[in-house]
Amino acid sequence: MTADVDMQLDPTSQREIEAAAAAWEIAERKELQQDSLALLLRAYYQSLFPYKPYFQWLNYGPVAGPTFQHREFSFTLQNDIYIRFQSFKDAEDLRVELLRMCPVKIDIGAIYNAKPKDKKTLRQGAFQPLEKELVFDIDMTDYDEIRTCCSGGDICLKCWDFMTVAIKIIDRALRDDFGFKHRLWVYSGRRGVHCWVCDSRARRLDNEGRKAVVGWLEVVKGGVQKTRKVQLPATLPPSLQQAMHVLKEHFEESILRKQDVLGAPEQWRKVLDIIGDDNVRPALGKQWSSDDTQDSVQRWASLVKLLENPPNPRAKRTYSSHIARDIMFQYMYPRLDDKVTSQLNHLLKSPFCIHPKTGRVCVPIDAATCEQFNPLKVPVIEDLINEINAFDKQAESEAGSDSAATARRKVPDVEKTSLKPYVQMFKRFVSQLVKDEIKQNQATPRHKQVYF
Amino acid sequence: MFVNKGGKQRTSRAGWSGEGEVAIDPDYPTRLNFYQKAPLLEISIEEFEQFALDRLQVLKAIEAAQLRGRDEAEIFKQVEAVCRERMCLSASAGSMAIRHDERRKDHISHFILRLAYCRTEDLRSWFLRYECALFRHRLMAVDAAEKQRFIASLNLGHKQLSKKEKDLMRTELMASCAHIPNFNFENESFLEVNFEDALDLVQHRRVYLRNGYAYVPAMEQMALVIGEFKRRLAASLEMYAKALPRMDEDERLMPVLLNISRQNTGKEYTTDAVAGKVTADDVEPLSALFPLCMSHLHNGLRSEGHMKHGGRMQFGLFLKGIGLPLDEAIVYWRRAFHKSTDDEFQKKYVYNIRHNYGMEGKRADYTPYSCARIITSNQPGAGDHHGCPFRHFSPDNLRRELLVSGVDEADVQEMLQLVTGGHYQVACTRLFEVTQLARARQQGKAAANVASAETITHPNHYFEQAFNLMSPGKQQNGMEIESGANASQHAIGKRWRGSN
Repeated sequence: MTADVDMQLDPTSQREIEAAAAAWEIAERKELQQDSLALLLRAYYQSLFPYKPYFQWLNYGPVAGPTFQHREFSFTLQNDIYIRFQSFKDAEDLRVELLRMCPVKIDIGAIYNAKPKDKKTLRQGAFQPLEKELVFDIDMTDYDEIRTCCSGGDICLKCWDFMTVAIKIIDRALRDDFGFKHRLWVYSGRRGVHCWVCDSRARRLDNEGRKAVVGWLEVVKGGVQKTRKVQLPATLPPSLQQAMHVLKEHFEESILRKQDVLGAPEQWRKVLDIIGDDNVRPALGKQWSSDDTQDSVQRWASLVKLLENPPNPRAKRTYSSHIARDIMFQYMYPRLDDKVTSQLNHLLKSPFCIHPKTGRVCVPIDAATCEQFNPLKVPVIEDLINEINAFDKQAESEAGSDSAATARRKVPDVEKTSLKPYVQMFKRFVSQLVKDEIKQNQATPRHKQVYF
Repeated sequence: MFVNKGGKQRTSRAGWSGEGEVAIDPDYPTRLNFYQKAPLLEISIEEFEQFALDRLQVLKAIEAAQLRGRDEAEIFKQVEAVCRERMCLSASAGSMAIRHDERRKDHISHFILRLAYCRTEDLRSWFLRYECALFRHRLMAVDAAEKQRFIASLNLGHKQLSKKEKDLMRTELMASCAHIPNFNFENESFLEVNFEDALDLVQHRRVYLRNGYAYVPAMEQMALVIGEFKRRLAASLEMYAKALPRMDEDERLMPVLLNISRQNTGKEYTTDAVAGKVTADDVEPLSALFPLCMSHLHNGLRSEGHMKHGGRMQFGLFLKGIGLPLDEAIVYWRRAFHKSTDDEFQKKYVYNIRHNYGMEGKRADYTPYSCARIITSNQPGAGDHHGCPFRHFSPDNLRRELLVSGVDEADVQEMLQLVTGGHYQVACTRLFEVTQLARARQQGKAAANVASAETITHPNHYFEQAFNLMSPGKQQNGMEIESGANASQHAIGKRWRGSN
């Protein structure tokens, strides 16, 4: 032990020096980057951020009320300062503050019983969250033990399939099982997706209710030390039968071909560990290592076959063929960050934020056509600003300088950029939402809802 | 509720004769109670305390039975026994006066505990959990007629599906009931409720959900009633919590209530005055005395140079409990997160550590997690190392982890058996016996001359016992843990007496 410590001393101090040097370098580069990011953000908040629909969304109606004014916003500023419990009077107030502070990240929290910015003036414990959209956060890092193409913050089109499948499965369940109509899917800007369920019934769920929804949806359970994370009953409940259709549709292509999970021993060992039967495991391992011409699809077929007719008949009873089905769930079924969903006051990054590392806009995703969504083609802040400039320049060259100014003013900046379709999608979502909200409020007058 | 300082005094009611055979008590028509109305009567302060303590014993016994019980039937038997002893509710036997007194006690004691347990989030959730368990137990214990009478009196307004509607959803309803043994679809009726009214069933996927409605087989109606009970009690506890500071009380109740609510938390492991004696350097040598969950976290942290939030909470608070002060904790975590830059560490993790020590946010002084909490709440997800190894590991991995810690095959088998039966803490105690206790015995420690160890209820409890076994006062030879620990032993030895 003592010897160990001695030996480790040197490399540690060495490492520290290196780390310090690297940190210095990063800091220098960062400063440069941050300067330009600050300018870009100002331009974005000035002319591209969709204030009007954004306000209407969080206000659930055209006239500013407590739904918007009691909502918590949190800002992360450029120097990583994090400010919680911001709140705003209306869209204009929000705009002024965004331009003043230029946050690199905006988080949305719950609607409270008072204005969050007045929190400190209230008696301790008197400030309570009342409502929030039911939100989901699916993050690619939770698939790191499974995906073979990337890890950590990186994504590619191969692993994006996990998100596509997640959207399909969760969206269907929210719509058909729970009857939620207003589901806004948003790209998180880097490696995941968020979903905002905005129906009033969803917004009013308490922590217990949110936990129940998570329980209904959650299938993959357990930490690093749990090899078999899915154990479902022989007859799948109806909602999971629906999910199974989606899994079947994607499993071969995404998991066996693209991820190639049975391609190499270190990958297939993970699959075999799930089986946990000492007769099947070595048999398959041997077969697969002896024949490296087989691909994952063939290997999967032999696994399914062997599990249906295991070498010892007793195993058939214990580990029936459901295990192959459960492996499919473990490898493809959406993995939710349950704490984000089950806590009413949990914050989540706002749509139309700019991801500080990638510069991509957190744009809405149309669940119906989610297969066509390509995260790598999402507009980047720098390009958007360039698009505005290019548009203006072209307009200028086409017309005389006098009329060009008027022409420029006529076209809103968003429409000069590739952000346009996403803002339009968002507007459609919000107008439908507000329409339904008004209809509902006519049935139950607003004064009957409690705010204090 | 009024409290009468003097002797016992009972409200007398007109038209209440007492000895009726099957007469129904107008105050308490059944043994089941939703506790909708607070009792308006006088009660002596002695009775006040006695009632509360009796009910508390029942709730605590339920907690213990759930943690140790083998199966539903055994838990039921244990709970029934303690109910009979402390809080008997007779069906029809005995005089009506006796029945009235029993139900009155049930009623009053519930409301006293409500007051005592509404103060903090933790207390509320504990109370809610075991009150629901008690209610559930009673629902199962009473006969069908009484249960029906009670459910009817609630007017929950559950809509029953017509035969035609039921047939239209036949396939789905049957698939959603596949988990019920010997389910007879034709004889079963289904109720249509909002999914919010069947949360427990939704959470465990035990109903069919469509368009926001849950279709509940009538045999699961009990779950709906319990859900309703839970919802109302939770709402009322929130209301009590808000009202409590403004309650006009006469200074005799509050001390009693505080005392009652303190009874339940059991031993809390807090860093008290002698804190500051375990240093960041001591953690490594002391890790030989850690329970499996903590040594697993410790090893995971060392090999990955990172730990997710759940692990940081479980392990960080444990370290706090063994006496690692805030400044040392920051040193320890800074070294452990050797992959992060200083900047990143400062921004992402220091707040969290300071928060655990009550230096940020709402400045609550958090206490280490107990086994019960680790086993039942915050289940580990992808990439997580926290949790209870006996509860959350696959058998293969648990086996490997145990073999690595030097447990021999026969003992591993025994522990895996215990785990299969759901006795995680007993398995952990067994691990303590074959590792810590056996080693102390080998080294001839006087403290090790006991046949078996106390059941482990808290990771810090495990550490405390292991530490006491090895502490020098008894004998000097053969300490296997390194010098860093020796230096700090005297100081640590006294610290985990707990706060009660």
